[in-house]
Amino acid sequence: MPSTNTLRQTDITKLIVERVGKVFTLADGQEINAISDVSFSVKRNEYCVLLGPSGCGKSTVLRMIAGLETPTSGTMLLDDELILGPDRDRGMIFQNYTSFDWLTVEKNVEYGMKCNGVPAKERKEMAADFIDLVRLTKFKNAYPSQLSGGMKQRVAIARTLANKPGVLLMDEPFGALDAETRWNMQELMISILESTDTTVVMVTHDIEEALFLGDRIVFFSSHPGTILEDGPVAFKKGQRIGVKEDALVMKGYVEAERHIMALMRSQRPTTDE
Amino acid sequence: MSADLNEPIRNSARRVTIRKPVSRSTSILLGIAIWVIFFTAWELAVIYESVNLLLVPPPEKVLGTLYELLIGGRFPGDILVSVFRVLASFAGACLLAVPLGILMGTFPAVESFFNPFVSAWRYLPAPAFIPILLMWLGTGEGPKLALLFIGVVFFLITMVMDYTRQVRIELIETSLTLGANQRQVLWTVIVPAVLPNVVVAMRQMLAVSWTYLVIAEIVASTTGIGAMMMRARRFLHTDEIMAGILVIGLLGLLFDVLFRWLHRVLFGYLYNQGR
Repeated sequence: MPSTNTLRQTDITKLIVERVGKVFTLADGQEINAISDVSFSVKRNEYCVLLGPSGCGKSTVLRMIAGLETPTSGTMLLDDELILGPDRDRGMIFQNYTSFDWLTVEKNVEYGMKCNGVPAKERKEMAADFIDLVRLTKFKNAYPSQLSGGMKQRVAIARTLANKPGVLLMDEPFGALDAETRWNMQELMISILESTDTTVVMVTHDIEEALFLGDRIVFFSSHPGTILEDGPVAFKKGQRIGVKEDALVMKGYVEAERHIMALMRSQRPTTDE
Repeated sequence: MSADLNEPIRNSARRVTIRKPVSRSTSILLGIAIWVIFFTAWELAVIYESVNLLLVPPPEKVLGTLYELLIGGRFPGDILVSVFRVLASFAGACLLAVPLGILMGTFPAVESFFNPFVSAWRYLPAPAFIPILLMWLGTGEGPKLALLFIGVVFFLITMVMDYTRQVRIELIETSLTLGANQRQVLWTVIVPAVLPNVVVAMRQMLAVSWTYLVIAEIVASTTGIGAMMMRARRFLHTDEIMAGILVIGLLGLLFDVLFRWLHRVLFGYLYNQGR
């Protein structure tokens, strides 16, 4: 019996990326057109996956949404407000561990709230809730050096969500984890989203992960990075699947995977062979 | 060639193997052995009088002299003066170098301003300033403290700057996307992240500080361990010179151990490698 839950997706548009482009200028003055004319939007509570071959600029797009890089052209809006730089409404989780070594798990999770002036008592309660959500209550007072890689990423998730961002940005968050920990984390993500009101934009190059987690997949092509295809993960019919092997046997899964692999293959440089 | 499958696999009996760790007991034994060999060679050289006893006193005589020096006379005062010089000048150097190094490693604009100046000074050997320091600051504590300060401060600034630059950009970016402003990033991420390495840099530079101390005291001082050794030279007291060297070595080691301990106490969170 597949555990499923109805998507609480609404029709309110949360994030708009409009005709965004990015040109890098190299040291010798040569210009590289990294991102060209990228437009997409994400609805509230939607889990949007940016997928594509390596070097297609999907991470750069995510970093521009975070405000960590500036687009050369185009605009980005979150809740109808122009994105100008990094801020708490766009919390980012990286592939590399970003736990602050000198803080306990609890203090790590409180960090963002403390920066934003949330009173100590409220901070502590919120932190406890989110630490519980990522199932780390037993390790509340541990330091990151005592935690495994998967646990460190759970700290990062709790820390970002406790800060109540408008959108959660994830850049290959499970890429450094071993296979077993990775699917555990993916299932944990589904269960977290069940109980929180969260919009996600996640970058990955893992097709299985994209199909399991994404409500929608935006597929990028490379040189320059631009959108090749953008659509819902149709076989899930708007549902989220809680258990990974249940998703793998669903009708339409294999076809969806084949389709994306064909897209990936079409992007391979021919000089490769 | 065919191998005899019934032959038991024999471990290679090599004692010295590339990158193969030795057991802890072997390691300690080897570490003691080198000292035993050193002192035996010294002792033998003395016993068979293959060296001039006036220039090379036996090890036990050095220890005896050290004991006599420590219980009476000027030597304890000399040690205190030397320790004071090192600590006072080093504290001054840290007060300037640590904040400046962190700012230079954090803000490229600050680095562009100070770095051409700081790196130039690093290539000027500190002892070259002794004549001019003596002219400017007289013969009191001034020139000694100044020499130690100059010898340490520019290297310390550069080391702290480099360590600050090594603070991972993801930590800073995480903090920014959690809503921290520049000031908060500096104080709540960059400073705590670099602090353990600042203590490492301080430990390394304190050892350098001891080197300059001896130079300063040998060249231009009537007090301190270095001056005591120069006095002993005048009277051919090689045992006292060697006792002085021993004390400097022991003090250096003591401070090194102290800093290592401090690192463990302050940054315990780095040491509990659990899972």
